[in-house]
Amino acid sequence: MNQSLIIGQYVPGESVVHKIDPRLKLIIIFIFVIAVFMANNIWSYVSLYFFVFASVALSRIPVAYIFKGLKPVWWIIIITFMFHLFINSGGNVIVSFLGINVYEQGVFQGASIATRFFLLIILATLLTLSTTPIAVTDAVEALLKPLKKVRFPVHEIALMMSISLRFIPTFMQEMDKISKAQAARGLDYTKGKLKDRFKALLPLLIPLLISSFKRAEDLALAMEARGYQGEEGRTKLRQLSFSKIDYIVIISLIVFLVSFYMIRV
Amino acid sequence: MKRKFSPSELTLGSVFVVLLMIGANIAIWFPFLKITYGAGSVPLSLQTFFAILAGIILGRKLGSFTVIVYLLIGAAGVPVFAEMSSGLQTFIYPTGGFLFSFIAVAWVTGYIVEKSQNPNIKVYLAATFAGLMANYLIGTPFMVASTNLVFEVPLTLTQGAIAMLPFFIKDFVITMGAAILLPKILGRLSVVNSSIPTHNTSQ
Repeated sequence: MNQSLIIGQYVPGESVVHKIDPRLKLIIIFIFVIAVFMANNIWSYVSLYFFVFASVALSRIPVAYIFKGLKPVWWIIIITFMFHLFINSGGNVIVSFLGINVYEQGVFQGASIATRFFLLIILATLLTLSTTPIAVTDAVEALLKPLKKVRFPVHEIALMMSISLRFIPTFMQEMDKISKAQAARGLDYTKGKLKDRFKALLPLLIPLLISSFKRAEDLALAMEARGYQGEEGRTKLRQLSFSKIDYIVIISLIVFLVSFYMIRV
Repeated sequence: MKRKFSPSELTLGSVFVVLLMIGANIAIWFPFLKITYGAGSVPLSLQTFFAILAGIILGRKLGSFTVIVYLLIGAAGVPVFAEMSSGLQTFIYPTGGFLFSFIAVAWVTGYIVEKSQNPNIKVYLAATFAGLMANYLIGTPFMVASTNLVFEVPLTLTQGAIAMLPFFIKDFVITMGAAILLPKILGRLSVVNSSIPTHNTSQ
């Protein structure tokens, strides 16, 4: 596997967007998802575009990184746009070619649905680029805290998230080693009947599972040896706290939401 | 959730989160799991199989909990879903329901294997099939809902089901094919690691 594959695409930086509290960033994204579906006229979409591009500009992350996030889905966006362009027949005809009429509403609906995805993906990508996965994990733990009341193991979720994050690169290397080692022993999974190909999975899956369970056991022993007993009495290395930037962001967010609500019909 | 998870359960679950990620992207390492046709290629994934494996090995409770952690990590932006995708937006795509369904997949398979006194190949195949059905029975209506509400493309449930049929057949072959290997896999694992909280010890 190529080494260029990076887990977590965090781009280090000192910008305002980087400094916003991760909890606030997650909340903003949730609000934005709702806002995107509430927009209903041209100006409300324009304001959403403004919001997203202002955030991108403030983050000072190269635009090329951000558009990478669109790569896997741009064709879904285009197909949806085309679908609405040709199917929806409301309002006046704008253009017609080859006997197909394109209507006003078709263009608007297609464009607004494409916009939804475009903006959502850009904002979600911006979160990934400007926040380390560990910070997101801390934020998830903080935001899910109310669920503790119904005995949902929030602390355990955050712990498992950070352990998995640590293991992802290790396991990907492990997979690399296993597939090469088995290929060196003459394992051929490109030929033969379907049944034989499934059997070729065994020499790949079993080493993977065994080595991963060994790692899990070692880590559990290490945790117990250090007296891990769940959340009680545990202090945190990274503390989340709201700074001046966060309060400024909250105020501008409220201003934006109020004006957004007033713009829409 | 009365009982807290023990450290060994927590680490096993975490490891399984990574395994789910590897299962979803297994075509990267094993190109035989890639079907090429025409111009494009469809990478086959063992995602459903690994969700089922999580249910069988970890049990219904830890298994479904592990899948929740997997989904949260993906939502946080770590590329753990199929084709190395991630992000909150993945959940409102038409395929998002299949991600949610993995929670049920792990729970259902775990439940069936835990309930059977003496798990054998028949129980594993039944559990796998039940898991696969949970996957599609949750995923397909969600896909129809997503197409209608998010993309605003009209699609009836019947049309959606017909559209998913080829995928179901593909997943049926792969998952059942892999499930036949289950007794061998589990047999060898139990020799190496006795601390795996399988169905035999957890209840």
